[in-house]
Amino acid sequence: MSTLKPFLIRTLQLLLVLWAVVTILFLMFRLMPGNPLAAYIDPTFTAEQQEALIRQFGLDKPLWQQYFTYLGNLLQGELGDSFRYRTPVAERILLLLPNTLILTFSSLIVAYTFGILAGAWLAWKRNSRFEAAALPAVLATRAMPEFWLGMVLLAIFSFSLGWFPAGGTRSAGTSYDSLWQLYTSANFLSHLFLPMMTLAIYSQGLPLLLMRSNMLDVMKEDFVTMAKIKGLSPSAVVIRHGARNALLPVMTSFAIAVGYQLQGNVVVESVFSWPGLGRELVNAVAASDYPLAQGAFLMIAIVVITMNLIADLLYTFLDPRISHA
Amino acid sequence: MKTLVKAAAGIAVGASLWAATASAQDQIRTIELLTRPQAAQPAEFQAIQLIAQEWRKLGLDVNVNVMPWSQMADAVWYNRDDWDVTAWQMTGRPERSDPDEIIFNLFHSSTAENGYNFIGYENPEYDALVEEQRVTVDPEARQKLVLRAQEILDADQPNMMLVHPQQAFAFDKTVFDPATVVDQSGIGIRSYWTWLELTPTGDQKDIIVNSSDNVIAVNPLYISGVTDNWLTELIYDRLFRVGPDGLPQPWAAESYEWRDDTTIAITLRDGLTFHDGKPVTAEDVVFSYAATTGGEAPMYAPFGSNVASVDVEGDNTIVFSLNTPSASFLTSSLAKINLIPKHVWEPVLADLSTKDENAESYQEDTPIGSGAYKFVRWLPNEEIVLEANADHFNAPKAERFILRLVPNAEAALGMLRSGELNFLTDFQGDPQVLLDAAEQDGDLEVVSTVDIGFRYVAFNLRRPPFNDPAFRRALSAAVDRRLIVNAAFKKFAVPSNSVVSPALEYWHASDVVSGFEAGSDVAKAILEEAGYGGIGDRLTYPDGVTETLAD
Repeated sequence: MSTLKPFLIRTLQLLLVLWAVVTILFLMFRLMPGNPLAAYIDPTFTAEQQEALIRQFGLDKPLWQQYFTYLGNLLQGELGDSFRYRTPVAERILLLLPNTLILTFSSLIVAYTFGILAGAWLAWKRNSRFEAAALPAVLATRAMPEFWLGMVLLAIFSFSLGWFPAGGTRSAGTSYDSLWQLYTSANFLSHLFLPMMTLAIYSQGLPLLLMRSNMLDVMKEDFVTMAKIKGLSPSAVVIRHGARNALLPVMTSFAIAVGYQLQGNVVVESVFSWPGLGRELVNAVAASDYPLAQGAFLMIAIVVITMNLIADLLYTFLDPRISHA
Repeated sequence: MKTLVKAAAGIAVGASLWAATASAQDQIRTIELLTRPQAAQPAEFQAIQLIAQEWRKLGLDVNVNVMPWSQMADAVWYNRDDWDVTAWQMTGRPERSDPDEIIFNLFHSSTAENGYNFIGYENPEYDALVEEQRVTVDPEARQKLVLRAQEILDADQPNMMLVHPQQAFAFDKTVFDPATVVDQSGIGIRSYWTWLELTPTGDQKDIIVNSSDNVIAVNPLYISGVTDNWLTELIYDRLFRVGPDGLPQPWAAESYEWRDDTTIAITLRDGLTFHDGKPVTAEDVVFSYAATTGGEAPMYAPFGSNVASVDVEGDNTIVFSLNTPSASFLTSSLAKINLIPKHVWEPVLADLSTKDENAESYQEDTPIGSGAYKFVRWLPNEEIVLEANADHFNAPKAERFILRLVPNAEAALGMLRSGELNFLTDFQGDPQVLLDAAEQDGDLEVVSTVDIGFRYVAFNLRRPPFNDPAFRRALSAAVDRRLIVNAAFKKFAVPSNSVVSPALEYWHASDVVSGFEAGSDVAKAILEEAGYGGIGDRLTYPDGVTETLAD
């Protein structure tokens, strides 16, 4: 009971947030200037065809009616048809989502593994010359725009050195029997490397700095002093008593970072021709393809909100002192 | 009594004098000049800045208004009475190798209300002329009419023609034999013929090309985009093809014969088969034409609308009867409409006819045509793979045609150099960068071609002062096109004064372009002669003309 109730409350809040997101998305695209059908102008396109298309997409109905149709469809899991592709949005999103998720999570795992270890190390090296050089470097990577970093990595490792391919998820014309075979192939991994590193370099700063400051706090705690007095080795003190406790907020920040990372994907996927949801989102917005843009935003919003919920709940389980009751 | 009349006359004269002076001082309002943003259309944006600058020298108050395409199309296309001047473009497509589509659709009064004559040009003499060329089947007689049409447009200046851009493409000459690249007139080396003839010289047997646009659909009944068209062209045969010289030639047709002005008999080539192994029959051809006008393929419908009936004679002869004689029928219908298998599409179209959607929303898992390449695989937003159809009567020399979707222009160039691509079919960056890269690399060959398409500034002829041909000519003459070519298009364009590109040598009126005089002085002289005041300071209308705008 005590764990179920907060879960229910959180889920209810989540649904409220989702409804708000859905409504904002709906209004945002309809308030954008320009005619969504302008992209399809052709000398052969007559006014009647134009009107038929408008009717087909329900754009002739009043706004409030469009809104309720849209909500009703969403409840049935129906995201509508894309204006450009004329095919179901959900189908399109599901095709592209795996590519985005694999890029997001692989880069976050690299970023967090590195960030946590380096953060703990930096805390241990407090007030050293090494720290004086490393901290500004970390801050610099946080400040670099992802598209710029991506282009620099491309120029060096792909165009100059030729170590990695420049775009896509695989070499031209190669095929694999299953997604699993593709994802474990050297071909795929070499294509993944540069975009993943771009995102990882950008996002390792957060876990690193968080880990470091947590470590510094934890190392001042009584139980650490106690451990030292007990005569434990320095490594045991740092890893078992320090790092384990400092890790808690870092792990929950992982969940929230997924949201930020999806933002970064929009840019990095375009630089590296990665066939993911972020790039599709850019295209959809540029082409005023409301249903597709709404669907893609919604999918990203769902991932972000869900990850936030997980972060919240993780706290409850990892640290019993925090209660949602 | 006499004095009263005199006084009344005096008042009348005074009033008319007053009115005349008022209208002579009627200033031309601030003109709104529309362009797309620099980020999206750098050359257009730059050209518009230069044009605005030259117009201001004449005394015209110009406000450059920057907006994205969707907004601009809305402002110009759907609100035809409300805009002043806008930058615009027509893109080159194979079917525009026949001048009819451009000279008719852009300027005939019948398309002014909601068709492509969005500028509202109405000239009965011109209408009659382009109607006549449409039904003149004799090429030489038609050529005279097409040239005359260009002269009328030159005199009227309904548009300010700027340039025909040059498109630059590049390929790896260590992978392919450069002699097998086919430069199609007005289309360039990124042509259907290149994909058939391009011959690999080494181990790499695949043609790997790029596009920055997404592929929307691979659908023989839906004109979904320029890139998509490269694919449907390869997968589907057509009765005719626009050849490397820009003129139509028989393709799936073995031979043809005009029986009279409105009847053409086509003999279908023997041994054509669809990719699923079934033969292409005369019935499939009839079905293909019926499908385009049957209501499920609205974008193709205009290309079949002139066909009154299609009948099969014997085994393999198809007879088309037309509603009216049509000079461009081979190019705009027979070289346009894809031959589709009846056994695949008949049930699909029957099902669609009961629904809201039409054939444009239907995507086959494996599109089946009879063309030189077969569809293999489509990875959304990543690549499309076609393989050579060895049984085709004109089988490609390469093994596969792979289209990679690369949104980043710098990356595309890098990929060409690293071998991830071997034919750069879409380069959105600065052409000079491409030339420099080719020189540095040594393995690349760059080929640039004058486009059938063009860039121009469209005047809204419904609104003064643009209803006055002299005023339009002055504005057009104010700008030296060489400036636009050099500064805005970085020399990758040729100056234009005609909608028919010099790439279409047969139809192009070259003296219209060479005889066009431009410069600030020329423009000022035209304005002065037409009675405009305040030249070089603040332009006013000629005497007696007042500015009235429709609501």
